[in-house]
Amino acid sequence: MVSEMNQPALNSQLSTIPQFVWRVVDVIVGRIFIYAGAIKVLDPVQFATDIDNYKILPWTIGVGLAFYLPWLEIFCGLALILRRLYLGGLSILTALVAVFLAATIAAKIRGLDITCGCFGHASQNWNFPAHLALDLAILGALLALSFRVVSGNRLQNAV
Amino acid sequence: MVKSSLVRQALLLATLAFVPGLVQAIYFGDKFSWRSPVPASEMVTVTQARAWGENATWVDARPDNEFARDHVPGALPLNEDRWSELLPQFLAAWSPEKKVVIYCSSEGCNASREVAQRLRKEAQLPNVFVLEGGWEEWLKTSR
Repeated sequence: MVSEMNQPALNSQLSTIPQFVWRVVDVIVGRIFIYAGAIKVLDPVQFATDIDNYKILPWTIGVGLAFYLPWLEIFCGLALILRRLYLGGLSILTALVAVFLAATIAAKIRGLDITCGCFGHASQNWNFPAHLALDLAILGALLALSFRVVSGNRLQNAV
Repeated sequence: MVKSSLVRQALLLATLAFVPGLVQAIYFGDKFSWRSPVPASEMVTVTQARAWGENATWVDARPDNEFARDHVPGALPLNEDRWSELLPQFLAAWSPEKKVVIYCSSEGCNASREVAQRLRKEAQLPNVFVLEGGWEEWLKTSR
């Protein structure tokens, strides 16, 4: 509430965006991760193979992650939509996307022909630029949401 | 303030996600192998493969120089570097009654899995198995 009253003073373009727009972004990003997680929950062995294709982690760790990460995506997606454990969900998702982006770029540089498996079979025919564009868009949205939270908190602390 | 609640929330979410993940891993336990991307039903141990005796065709998926140095007695070379050249030679020696046992250098190598996958998909061969532990395991059990 306080942050809303002081938004013009914040002199930030992000703070001038209406509240409902942020809620829409929360819900869209949250739903993307719930969808991505749910697809992978249905076929964890395929996701383990997708992780293995990056040739970064041993198979055993990849399998462990294949069972864990989809549920983490779902819970964090729900956190964004329900605004419960919001900060935690936001930070985990930002870290996940950043790591995934780095792994994708590294795989491309190493000449690996990877299927990211991010959206199950729906994404298996996507090319590298399409993957990159979507990941960057999601990362941008997550960073914007994080910035909004941090700047809002600074204001609350200042008042 | 923000930092401490962020860490607390992140830890809570990470723990929450662990629970269904663990349950699912137990449920799917028999559908995959923790040791290898190849399903457990497509793996074979050295002891099992040896027991097949004459009913097994051994395939060496390692590079040519490693095959030339040493290999399982009677094994045929079939690696991806010279796939189109070696595949016809292998198929000429292959018999449908025999099981195919493919190995590469060790547990961590990938060549045997790749060759097994290609033999199943491209050559439509049944009874193709990957040797657990590869050449290293063969050497250990041969001592």
